[in-house]
Amino acid sequence: MNSLLHLSDFTKERRIVFILLCALLILFIISLQSGDINLNIINVLKDIFNANYSVESLVLYEIRLPRTLLALIIGASLGISGAALQGMLRNPLAEPGVIGVSASAALGAVIVFYFGLSSAFPLALPLGGIAGALLAVILLYTLTGKNSSILTLILAGVAISSLAGALTALALNLAPNPYASLEIFFWLMGSLSDRSFIHVWLILPTTLLGWWLMLSVRRGLDALSLGEDTAQSLGVDIALLNKKIIIGVALSVGAAVSVSGGIGFIGLIVPHLLRRFVGFKPGSLLVISGLAGAVLLLAADITVRLLPTQTELKIGVLTALIGAPFFLHLILKARREWAS
Amino acid sequence: MLRVKNISLSFADTTVLDDVSIEFNAGSVIGLIGPNGAGKSTLLRVLAQLQKPDAGMVEIDGVNAVTIASNSFAKKVTYLPQTGVCHWPLTVERLVALGRYPHQSSQQLSVLDMQAVEQAIVETDIEHLIGRTVNTLSGGERARVMLARALATESDILLADEPIVALDPRHQIDVMALLQSLANKGKTVIVVLHELHLAMRYCDSLVLLNNGRKVAKGLPKAVLSVENLQTVYGVEAIYGEHQGCEWVLPWGHKKGEKA
Repeated sequence: MNSLLHLSDFTKERRIVFILLCALLILFIISLQSGDINLNIINVLKDIFNANYSVESLVLYEIRLPRTLLALIIGASLGISGAALQGMLRNPLAEPGVIGVSASAALGAVIVFYFGLSSAFPLALPLGGIAGALLAVILLYTLTGKNSSILTLILAGVAISSLAGALTALALNLAPNPYASLEIFFWLMGSLSDRSFIHVWLILPTTLLGWWLMLSVRRGLDALSLGEDTAQSLGVDIALLNKKIIIGVALSVGAAVSVSGGIGFIGLIVPHLLRRFVGFKPGSLLVISGLAGAVLLLAADITVRLLPTQTELKIGVLTALIGAPFFLHLILKARREWAS
Repeated sequence: MLRVKNISLSFADTTVLDDVSIEFNAGSVIGLIGPNGAGKSTLLRVLAQLQKPDAGMVEIDGVNAVTIASNSFAKKVTYLPQTGVCHWPLTVERLVALGRYPHQSSQQLSVLDMQAVEQAIVETDIEHLIGRTVNTLSGGERARVMLARALATESDILLADEPIVALDPRHQIDVMALLQSLANKGKTVIVVLHELHLAMRYCDSLVLLNNGRKVAKGLPKAVLSVENLQTVYGVEAIYGEHQGCEWVLPWGHKKGEKA
């Protein structure tokens, strides 16, 4: 039965991974070169190699490289988390931003800002973000239960986002000085500018752990396509799968948001665009969603740097401008499917 | 051999299974029959370890099923639920391949996995559906694809909850004949059925449940007796014989009589 051979043929998936890696490499180089100062990467690398710390080498090492790496890490986290949440909840509209995880992570980070904990203990920032994200995913799972409808999921997401937003607004309102609240306000918009390697090292361990947890349940997510009963009868430990994804999303998205602020919709757009290339298997979607998330966020970050605006456009604003219409398109599509 | 011992289960104040003990012989098709709410599907879920009973135990070859690791259990026992849910528009062949989950250590299918998937597709007569996504299938086509997924696991025990309910007569007969052929190969097939005529023709033995209790167990002819059908279902039936096979057809009930 030759028509079945493609079942064990991962060529298509490998081809997408290869294309995404190539795109990532190209964008990586463009990202290092994009900014107010033009850099000749080869010469700068020579400078660094010869321990000649020129201004250009400092710009590359202290500003552009960490910014680029953060875009890659955070984009990948948002992509993998979106795909994992959609697989776990069996719902194509699940996404850290839509369901309130990002807003809750931001609240956690704002609380850390508010009490000035980050200056005394740098790890408090990602930990605050992770705690906020963890609470949100647990609350969401409790509110929606298993096999949630799209409506229930969105309503629960709206409720969680609203609560987190209200508490964040409260923190802003009660901030001891107006500059602090302005700083928090801009931070909430989402940005990767003025970040350093400290931020990369702060989020890397929890992010990697989160990725590993989510990627370890890929096969279980495939089986979960057939519902919890069937998946369980196939040997999937549903409780363990849910725990791994909830903690994985909280670790990676919580850490990401604590450093970048609110960047939405990456986890919604990316899995949706790629799903058909992996035959709609939710487990196979995780790796390519991670890569595509990194590509998308890096491209968005390069765009905000190159746009001729007076002040740099916040990356969270750009992703929201692209993502919100896309989200509306998905809602309309879902409505048409319900109608039919 | 699969065996349930003194299984009892209640949901809130409702007793769903009441001290049920049954032995299921290998190499046979055992039909679980009974009116709606008799406890058939719940018993199947208890057998599949999806529902923990309040009391009693399930044994496989003398071993308490709860002590068997989930992956080993999944290789021994396949459960086919009543509703053929698939949350994503997977292609038919990808869906059937999910039946190989307990045998795989990675997402890649081995040659053996491929052979099992192919065989299941051929046995359930769904070769022409290859390449189609599950959301484009009719209810009957979907039911056969789900059965193929269950067969692809190649387990010794198959638990099927109303697998023929959405099928046309031809495919009902084909599926029941397929289950019979699996039993002839030594497998234990436990199937929940409402189609009494097919239960009589294709099952080696029947278990009749009512209000969570086992009312009768034995050869189909004995279980589907006039008295049992009258008492449990509240129906009268007509009986006959064709080509050496006996058949039963529920015909009617006295007005106002409670099933």
